[in-house]
Amino acid sequence: MGTLENQIVRITSRLVAPFIQVYGIYVIIHGHLSPGGGFSGGAIFGASLVLVALSFNLEVGAKQISHDTASILESGGALGFVITGLVAIALGANFLANQSAGFPMGQTGQLFSAGAIFIITFFLGIKVASTIVTLFYNIIEGEDKSGDAH
Amino acid sequence: MEDLLFIIIAAIFAMRYLLRLQARGVFTILLVGLIGFFFSFTVAEMPPFGDPNNPVFNEIPARYMESGVADTGAVNIVSSVIIDYRAFDTIGEATVLFVAIAAVIATLRSH
Repeated sequence: MGTLENQIVRITSRLVAPFIQVYGIYVIIHGHLSPGGGFSGGAIFGASLVLVALSFNLEVGAKQISHDTASILESGGALGFVITGLVAIALGANFLANQSAGFPMGQTGQLFSAGAIFIITFFLGIKVASTIVTLFYNIIEGEDKSGDAH
Repeated sequence: MEDLLFIIIAAIFAMRYLLRLQARGVFTILLVGLIGFFFSFTVAEMPPFGDPNNPVFNEIPARYMESGVADTGAVNIVSSVIIDYRAFDTIGEATVLFVAIAAVIATLRSH
């Protein structure tokens, strides 16, 4: 009986996960246009990876995004944020300046607009998603190891 | 006021009898009650929610709402505040996330 329940959960989560991921990316890259942004979109994207890891097992989940990839994305998101701020200094404005630093502002309301806000939201989304995934995997693996030791 | 104090003391003694608390438990209840009293007192003194005469509606939110789109190019005013006007604060938030992850890894991977 357990296998049947597992089958339902696995097929459903496998079907739903891509849609959740697309929605997470949508929320991230439309952060300057619609409600949402880097934090909420990253949380949605990370939740889809956690869903797959929960409904299958840890190995299948780890195949989607490995430990090292998650760590690199985690640090890269924070680094990209800071580098975007430093680019503004290099362009002759304050740290994290947007319009005064001369980032391309585009047409207001279009997808590719708002200069640094678009870039920083993207990096923040990557960072939050990998944070959730790393947190989840580390806690679950710690549980597994202590379970084996007993 | 004296009546209220008497009722509170009686309630504490009743709870001590009913829950079989030690002196430490009585002290905990007193402390939690004191904190709760001051919290309730603070909330009761706060200005009503959404009132246009509230002190938070000063020239700063007016500036955000009037020239936020022209300043930042973002239609979402929340994004324009947290990522343009207050981007330095958001760097702090990202750092908090980073430190949290570093702490989790340092704690869980060591054993």
